[in-house]
Parts: sequence; structure tokens; C-alpha cells
Amino acid sequence: MTNPAVAVNGLTKIFSAPLHPARGIVAVKELNLRIEPGEVFGLLGPNGSGKSTTLKIILGLVSPTHGHTEIFGRDSRLVESREAVGFLPENPYFYKYLTGEETLRFFGRLCGLHGGRLKERINELLELVGLSKARKRRLGTYSKGMLQRIGLAQALIHEPRLVVLDEPTAGVDPVGSREIRDLILDLKRRGITVLLSSHLLAQAQEICDRVGILADGVLVREGHLQELIAIENQTELVIADASPQLINEVESVINRSKAKLIENRKSTTTLERLFLEATRNDNSKSKEK
Amino acid sequence: MANPIAWRADLLRLRQVSARHENHEPEMTNIENASTLQSIGGSTVARPHRDFSFSRILAITLNTLTELTRLKVFYVLLVFAVLLIGSSVFMAQFSFQQEFQILKDVSLGAISIFTSLLAIVATARLLPQDIEDRTVYTILAKPVPRFEYIVGKIAGVLLLLAISTLVMSAAFVLVLYLREQAVIHAALTQMSGTPPEQIAEVLATIRSSAFNIDIVPGIIIIYLKACLLAALTLFVSTFATTNIFTIVVMAFVYFIGHLQATAREYWLQEHGSGLLTRVFLAIVALLFPDLQAFNLVDDIVAGTAVSLAVFAKTALLGVFYTTIYTLLAAFVFYGKEL
Repeated sequence: MTNPAVAVNGLTKIFSAPLHPARGIVAVKELNLRIEPGEVFGLLGPNGSGKSTTLKIILGLVSPTHGHTEIFGRDSRLVESREAVGFLPENPYFYKYLTGEETLRFFGRLCGLHGGRLKERINELLELVGLSKARKRRLGTYSKGMLQRIGLAQALIHEPRLVVLDEPTAGVDPVGSREIRDLILDLKRRGITVLLSSHLLAQAQEICDRVGILADGVLVREGHLQELIAIENQTELVIADASPQLINEVESVINRSKAKLIENRKSTTTLERLFLEATRNDNSKSKEK
Repeated sequence: MANPIAWRADLLRLRQVSARHENHEPEMTNIENASTLQSIGGSTVARPHRDFSFSRILAITLNTLTELTRLKVFYVLLVFAVLLIGSSVFMAQFSFQQEFQILKDVSLGAISIFTSLLAIVATARLLPQDIEDRTVYTILAKPVPRFEYIVGKIAGVLLLLAISTLVMSAAFVLVLYLREQAVIHAALTQMSGTPPEQIAEVLATIRSSAFNIDIVPGIIIIYLKACLLAALTLFVSTFATTNIFTIVVMAFVYFIGHLQATAREYWLQEHGSGLLTRVFLAIVALLFPDLQAFNLVDDIVAGTAVSLAVFAKTALLGVFYTTIYTLLAAFVFYGKEL
């Protein structure tokens, strides 16, 4: 049996108040999780539900009060367990005085990369995240979306098998958000396991295979996304180029049966897609001018 | 400090190794190691993990140096240069002995104050800033032990202090040399027609009162004092909540450290030298290092030679304090919840 990418067993974290140890805050309570290699797992929940604390414990940045976590079978308190992990924290700032290229070189050296291999890897990643032209610019001049993308590049510098993303699209505009989502889907295609925390549910729905929902530190739901959100007794038909007669016929068939037609409406695009199309058109027009 | 993750990790690694020994299993070869890393979670491009790596420390050291350099802390050196040039212009009215004496006094005093100031101010912000900006998460989420992070940070500051001390010392020696040459030139002009022996005697007097080789150990001790202060600042910053707190604590340490020796002598006179007193004084000496002991330049400027024994003892004390404070900083940072 292969080791799971992430295993969380009986995890509890209590932050004790400095002057009142008895009045501790329970951030995570008896959490059990198993994330298989190659999955995109979304840890969802409102602010303060324990998502970031769970991620930090998995990465060995915070110690658990009870329970333990493993990354590909290695105790995540061991420094070497992090060889397999790339991490992008929420709203990362990095070192403003470094350029994009210098940032990747720094993180690459921390992972034991050197010389030609490091140079090659930097070029690949800058290309992947679309920052080749901004490689010589200091991070202080980067936009939020660019920072997030350079953050993702540093997380991937040593070709990790697991990528942990804490609110990867927080504060990023829809275009940047779409780019990050595409990058995550690309990671999935390459067989990299992705564990992400988010409270942007529509986005998580688009990219996650499985999700876990945390509320007040307790895992209240967990499973395959499609199974969790499916409404058992309802079915959707999406028909293109249907004439009014055809629709009437379908409705009359339904009415003759025991089933009940709940809603008949025009399909709509998403507001995000509308926004992306509109801004893309505006951009190309302004370029033509 | 409860639940130090890294200790547990070390303990765990120790248990795994000892279990292997107990079961009489051979140590893994490099090839087995590499293939295990591939199969259980190693990355494909990086080298296999090593428990201790100089190249990781060097990466953090150079990054810290770049950070401090790009924050323009070297402006302090400009202030030093202005002070040096200003004072040498002002002192042209004194006799050359007085002039050289004051120049050395002012310059070495300024080097001491500026390196100490730089050590405290540059170090105080390093850890809190990394934690506030979350850069520490990205660094420690890589296979980087916390000890290496701390050592890399302090090594970056020590490198910065070494460069600053060298630049200030070079500027000081240059100004001293130029003033010496100017005085020699003036003396030669005034003494035209004087017998050569007399001229040689005057030149020897000028030269001996200008540059004195004892200045070098004095400057090394100034550097070590700054290293000590940087390491202590790093230690304080591991548990301080703000930069201001660290700087205020260090200002107290700085002043108490300079008065400590006098207070200690007074205490010993009053209370004798029993075991309890010695333990108490050792704790005080650890918290507030005797900074006055690092002030060798006063004697050097006054013309007293510093013996090798005193220099070696003071240098060792500086290295000892710097090491102890760095280890203490690493110890506290090990257990810190980030």
C-alpha cells in the first residue's frame, strides 16, 4: 500500500493564553484526514476555522497539542519531510529588495540546487508563471497577482510532490485568480498533489477532487466533491438549440410521469467568464489603438 | 518553549537510527538513500537532504547581507566619513601630537559606537520582520533546520559588521596617513638647512605619534564587541514582540554592560566572594556582558601597548559570548510557534 501524500491523525491544537493557561483556544479538534497522491484537496471553512493552523502543523511550523501528521509517510516534524513539499503562504510578501530571479535563486539554494540546474529551473518556472519579462524587477514593484505567481514558482523550485497553498487567490483580481487556478490544474495534470485552503467556494468547486469543511476546528464534512454537492433526487438536462415545441414536449412527458419539473430557465454564463471576456476585449481594443 | 518541534524531530530521528542498529540493519548506501528519497517523497531535482549544510547557511547569510545592504544601512559609514573629515579639518590648529591623539580618539570612539549601533539596529528587525512578512514560513517550509536559519542570519550581520569595520578603519588609517604626510611636509619645509640626524629624529617622532600597530588589535576587539551585541540582540528578538522592545532592552544592556565592572567591584567589596555571590555575579555577567573589558582602544590611544595575553583573553571572551548568545537564540527559536 502506498503512503498517503498527507495523513493527519487525531490532530488537536490548543493555543494557551499567556496569563491564563486554563483558558486555551481550541484551534483544531480531533482532526483526521488522508490525502492520496495526485489529488487536489480543498480545506474549506470560514475565517478562524483552523485551516491555516492545520496547514502549519502539517508543515512542521507549529507543534500539535495531540496527534500527529505525516507527509508521504514521514513524520512532518522531521525537517527532511519538507523535501517533498512546496508551500505558498497566505498573502506572501517575500523579500521586497530581491528581484524575481534572485528570489527563486535564494529558495533554490535552500533546497540544495546549484549551478546550471538551478539556472535552468529558474528559467522554466519564470516561463511557467509568466514572469520572464519581470525577472529583473524587484518584488517591491510587483502587483498582488505577480507576487502570488512568484510565490507559486518558489514553492515549485525543487519539484515537490506535494504543494500546499494557503488561500492562493486571496486578494487577487479575477484574471490573476484564473491564472493561478490554471496553474493548479496544470500541477494536477503533472501528478502533483495539491492541498489548498480557501473560503472562496466557487473556485474550490472548480478545481478540487475532494474537500473537507472545517468549522470551529472540527471537520464537519469530508469527501468527493461531486458526491457531497449532488442532490440525490434531482437531475439536470442542458439542451442546445431546442425549439419551443421540443421544450413543450419534454415538459408534457415529465408532467405525465410521477416526476416534477422544478425549474425551466435559460442557461447562463458565470459572472467571472463575462468579466474575463469583457476585459480581454477591452485590452485588445486598447492595444489596437 | 513548550513542545519544541525540532527536539522531537531529533529524538525521532535518533530513535529511527537506533532501531536500525538494534535490528542489525546495515546503514543505507547513498544509492539506496537517493532511491528512497525518490520513492517516499524526495524531490527530483534537489540533492538528497543533509542534516547540516553550509551552502544553505551561506544562502541565508548572503541574503541577510543583501537585505541589510539594500536597506542602505551603509549610510552610517557616510556619517562616519563626514565626522572624520570634519574633525581633521577642525584639528589642524593643534600641535601634531595633539592632533593625532584627538584624531585617533575620535575615530576609534566613532568606530566603536557606529559598529555597536549598527549591530543592534540591523539585527533587531531581522526575525520580527521575517515573521511579520511570513517569509520565515516559506523558508522553514523548505528543508531548512531552524538552527541553520539562525546561524545564517547572525553570520549575515557579522559579515556586514566586518565590512563596515574594515571600511571605517581604512578611512581612518587613510586620513591619519594623509595628516601625517602633511605634518612631515610642513616639518621638512620648516627645517630646511637642519642637520639630517635632527630631521630624522623629528620624522621618527611624527611617525610614532601617528600610526601605531597596536591600533589593529584594538579595532579587532571593537569588532568582536559589535558581534557580541548583534548575537545578544538576536537572542532578545527571538522572544521580543516588537523591534522597539528589543532596541530598548539592548540600550539598557549597553549602558549596564559598560558600568557592570565598577558595580561588580563594589559588590565584591561589600559582600565578599562567597559561592552565592559568585553565582549571582556570573548570572549578571551573562545577562549584561562586561562591555568595558572590550574597550582596549583608550589604552592604545594613550600610548600603552596591549599585551598579547590581554588581547587573546578579550578576543576569546568576545567569541565565547557571541557563540553562547547565538546558541541561546537558536534554542528559543527552536520551540517558537510561528
